[in-house]
Amino acid sequence: MAEYATKKLAQMLITVLGVITLVFFTLRLIPGDAASAMAGDTLSGEALQRLREQMGLDEPLFAQYFGFLLDIATLNLGETITTRVPIAELILRAMPITLTIALGTIVLSVLISIPLGTLAAYMAHKGKRWLDNALTGTAMVVDLMPSFWTALVLLLIFSLALGWFPASGQLNWSNPGGVALRLALPIIVLSLSQVAMLARITRTAVLEVLNEDYVRTARSLGWSELRVLFRHALKNAALPVATIVGLSFGNLLGGTVIVEFIFTIPGLGNLLIAGINSRDYQLVQTLIVLYALIFVVINFATDLVYKALDPRVQF
Amino acid sequence: MADITLAPPTTTRKTGFKDFFAAIGRHRGLRHPKIRLALLILVPILVLTALAPVLPIQKPLETNLRAMMQVPSIEHPFGTDKMGRDILSRTLAGVQISLVVGFSVAMIALMSGMVLGTLAGFYGGMIDRAVMTVVDIFLAFPSLLLAIGLVSVMGTGLVPVILAISLADVPRFIRLQRSQVLSLRSRAFIDAARTINAPQSWLMTRHIVPNTIAPMLVAGSIAAANAILIEASLSFLGLGIMPPQPSLGNIVRDGQTYLEQAWWISTLPGVVILLIAVGLHFLSDGVRELLDPRSRQ
Amino acid sequence: MNYQAPVRTTLLEVRDLRTEFQTPSGTVTAVDGVSFSVERGERVAVVGESGSGKSAMAMSILRLLAWPGRLAAGEVRLDGRDIARLSEGQLNAVRGRLVGTVFQDPMSSLDPVMRISKQMIEPIMRNLKLNRQEARDEAVKWLGKVGIPEPERRIEAFPFEMSGGMRQRVMIAMALSCQPRLVIADEPTTALDVTIQAQIVEVLKNLTAEAGAAMLFITHDLGLVARFAHKVAVMYAGRIVEFGRVEDIFARPAHPYTQSLLGTIPSTEMLKSERLPQIPGLPPDMRKPIVGCAFRERCGAAHDRCAVEPPVLSERGPDHSAACWTDKGLTDSISLKPKSSARTNKPFEPDGSVVVELNALWKQFNVSRKTTVRAVNGVNLRVHKGETLGIVGESGCGKSTVARLLLGLEKPTSGDIFISGLAQMVFQDPSASFNPKMRIGDIVAEPLVVKSRGAKLERDEAVRRLIGQVGLDASFIERYPHQLSGGQRQRVAVARALALNPSVVVADEPTSALDVSVRAQIINLLADLKHDLGISFVFISHDLLTVRYISDRIAVMYLGEVVEYGAAEEVFADPRHPYTKALIDAVPVPDPVIESRRSSVPLEGELPSPLNLPRGCAFASRCPIATDLCRAEKPTLPTHELSRQVACHYAV
Repeated sequence: MAEYATKKLAQMLITVLGVITLVFFTLRLIPGDAASAMAGDTLSGEALQRLREQMGLDEPLFAQYFGFLLDIATLNLGETITTRVPIAELILRAMPITLTIALGTIVLSVLISIPLGTLAAYMAHKGKRWLDNALTGTAMVVDLMPSFWTALVLLLIFSLALGWFPASGQLNWSNPGGVALRLALPIIVLSLSQVAMLARITRTAVLEVLNEDYVRTARSLGWSELRVLFRHALKNAALPVATIVGLSFGNLLGGTVIVEFIFTIPGLGNLLIAGINSRDYQLVQTLIVLYALIFVVINFATDLVYKALDPRVQF
Repeated sequence: MADITLAPPTTTRKTGFKDFFAAIGRHRGLRHPKIRLALLILVPILVLTALAPVLPIQKPLETNLRAMMQVPSIEHPFGTDKMGRDILSRTLAGVQISLVVGFSVAMIALMSGMVLGTLAGFYGGMIDRAVMTVVDIFLAFPSLLLAIGLVSVMGTGLVPVILAISLADVPRFIRLQRSQVLSLRSRAFIDAARTINAPQSWLMTRHIVPNTIAPMLVAGSIAAANAILIEASLSFLGLGIMPPQPSLGNIVRDGQTYLEQAWWISTLPGVVILLIAVGLHFLSDGVRELLDPRSRQ
Repeated sequence: MNYQAPVRTTLLEVRDLRTEFQTPSGTVTAVDGVSFSVERGERVAVVGESGSGKSAMAMSILRLLAWPGRLAAGEVRLDGRDIARLSEGQLNAVRGRLVGTVFQDPMSSLDPVMRISKQMIEPIMRNLKLNRQEARDEAVKWLGKVGIPEPERRIEAFPFEMSGGMRQRVMIAMALSCQPRLVIADEPTTALDVTIQAQIVEVLKNLTAEAGAAMLFITHDLGLVARFAHKVAVMYAGRIVEFGRVEDIFARPAHPYTQSLLGTIPSTEMLKSERLPQIPGLPPDMRKPIVGCAFRERCGAAHDRCAVEPPVLSERGPDHSAACWTDKGLTDSISLKPKSSARTNKPFEPDGSVVVELNALWKQFNVSRKTTVRAVNGVNLRVHKGETLGIVGESGCGKSTVARLLLGLEKPTSGDIFISGLAQMVFQDPSASFNPKMRIGDIVAEPLVVKSRGAKLERDEAVRRLIGQVGLDASFIERYPHQLSGGQRQRVAVARALALNPSVVVADEPTSALDVSVRAQIINLLADLKHDLGISFVFISHDLLTVRYISDRIAVMYLGEVVEYGAAEEVFADPRHPYTKALIDAVPVPDPVIESRRSSVPLEGELPSPLNLPRGCAFASRCPIATDLCRAEKPTLPTHELSRQVACHYAV
């Protein structure tokens, strides 16, 4: 196991290095350079030159590259251009909020989608196609609803019309109830598509297992349907479903940007959009690398959990 | 010999592209419930979009200060916005953009995926390792965030948006094509061709590529749906197609401010996005089921 | 074994069983009015080809059919209770407790993420009302009985840690551990090698007899039936066409289908100059309604009545019935033998020229940096012009790797391959060996196109000739592979192999994916071609009876080595290597009289791992006569010059 984890860890580090490299060189593709793009027409020649020096753009490319690597490794992330706030500080404030939304969505959607998907699979297996069709059809449509649209519709109904959830306001961690109310709608919005997707995956995985020979063996030993479903089908279907949960984290991170924007939540997503709008490339590149890092680490963890749970994998 | 049963051929198979469209066009295809449903959704949208210039509605950018923020009516089926622009007309213009984005992204991703995936899967070794390393790096970015990052560098507008979304999709297509090629490469009919020393180009063009096209087209129509959703998201965030040029995402964004006073501005174009995505998914599902004899039962 | 004569009371009685499958193209009646009974302690075999409904019938008895299958009508009386009318809850008390089941594929029939202990102990606790420790002891006891070494330790294993044979033993232990009155075994040995099959059949036979349980044994292998059944039910197209005691069925078959089936298996006495009797045509398409007798289109004795009225089972003797409108089925005057039953060509005469020569061939596969599979270990073989070399051995013996090396599909690690002319191949799986997007005509023409032989018109002409040569008509040229049956596809594979006039055709298990009744057609085709064209064949198979029939010489392989080589008849009549002996003993012969006389001590143990081979004789770990010499020193095969070669220190 340790050997496998080390190997995977090395692979992960190579990917992370690749991610940083890619981000670095992509930014160098900006016509002109990052400084002039950032400044737009506002700065004169001399001031622009100063900005270049400040951003290190006057150094040779490789010096810049290794400087960038070193900065990331030492968490020396610099300051924002406009407000001169340390980027690390901003990230530390925003990241817990984004991760709360993402993890809350994962928990909520797993709790709903697994029973739903299992039920659909069981019905399909028994030939009761109408319920299965209804569930999978609905799931497909829900999965395809653009999250910004779902968010606006729910906002319209539950915040503006019914007034159940606040649509704006400060996030104060000392008041968990308030935070929960404030984050409820974003989490529900993201959960809708997440549930739809996971329920379909669960259905397929469970249905596949229900057609396996060992399920027939369990029936031939006289076990009841429920026991067959829980002891054999769910246990075997859990592994592929877990992998998908990990992989879906990427889409989820994308989704957080949209809900944070709509519900004006000060997470990483709003930081990113603010960075783009103020052309703060230092901030944007740091955030993109950070998102990729979160995703890669989650996948690494999922992979290890998968390998640890599956007795067939030998180390 | 006596064991010949002269059952008439029940189906005819053609290669690749023809397969895909033959499956839709064939009678059996039209009878397939999912394909029917898909066409029922997509055809009216396409027809309306194509006819938009000649329909008796305002032009997308035309303002009408006497008809601001109007509730949907016969005259303005989707209502009007704060400048009195007709939302239906703007939506149809947005659909046009969406379709261009969806089709372009699917084509770019499909073509580059086919070429790179086939090379990586067929030749293996260094080419494979190089391609797959880059693919893994790209796949480390959540696709919407990669598109956001790229747009922030390349700027807004139609072409950057198409390129950004394509770049996020290409790695997935390379992966799909590579895995198809790998599984085909070990099939017995490849071995049979190798026993007559068929050249590699023969194996690739005659045996491998034709068998990968149909699944890639199925994946392509899903990619088109995704691209439409991502373009809408980008435009919604103000990073895609910029006003005044209407796109489904930026119409919804415009309406966000007036959600309480004019719900129709944001919600109705969203329904259209959903319909297009659902239509494309049903289409790809239906075609996949038609082409895959196992799921036909 | 303390075999008890079965007490003549009925345990299971099936009446008018009908099983249906709902498909989009309509209702398929997989089992259509089947009636039979099983006495206590009796072993009944149900024989039939794929699609005959035998498995659907067996699964219907316990209502284990998966949707869209459905028990549509009929009674299943077990100990007087009608299972067809029990509730799910009552049924669960019957499953496992009164009826134990052993399924076909041991690799997939055990839950992969659960330890054996967990899968075995809980059913015992529930069914026999034992506490956990008692149930565990019981489970260990049964694992020991079925021949699992160190059962106390192995009970904690996961299924993937065991071989297929071991898993099937676990399945048998599970099925028997709750002391059922009836064991249903659905093709329990089909997925296993012949020596393992012999072990499993022995275990099943002895333990059910010891427990006094009856058994319903579903199989397509008539040899297995002869080996251990008391009674036989022959199924065709969803119906039982013949039922009777095993001696009667084999000695006096009354239904034309049974008669034909028995004829298509090459017997040990059969001469090579004789063509194998074959059943023409294909089994009926079960999706279409069947009018009259389902077998009539393939039957030489069919007459008008057969086309109108489906025959019912009628008495042919004590405990013997058949469903046929004729009295005796096929008689000598309406024989199933083809008109030209003997081949007219002169028999094979070696002119000494060598077509294929393999010298000191080695092949190793590096699975990972540390492990190497040694697939072929120093093989020397020669094939002469016009000769058929049969290579036999169990899976993992390296016979397919030899074929791939010969065809240039793999590069040898060391050694030489000499081929005079061209080698072509016929593959095992007729569904994977064609590009699904190509028409049959293009498939057969492909070698000609690649080698740029002839102009378009000449190629078309050649394709028509080749298609005709393998017994298909020109209408097949325009079809796609999926529109052909397995037998037809194998004919196309042969046509493709012949396109470039090869000097040798390698056929790797060309008949093992085919049904028994179609198998003989392909074997006859290959034998005819050999006689007509003088092509050499390398015929690779685990089916010893077929190899003996078709081959001039035989090489027996074990763990990547040839252990015995010689003329086919000689090797069969007088096997010198202990492995060859065991292999031949393990093959069930479709004759209950011969079977009852044969020794029933199967070869012990399983194939050692090819990852770390023993230093001495590879077979020593399973050999009944192995000594210290064998374990220390490897016996080698004598030189090419001898017509008979045996790699054994004690070969006589």
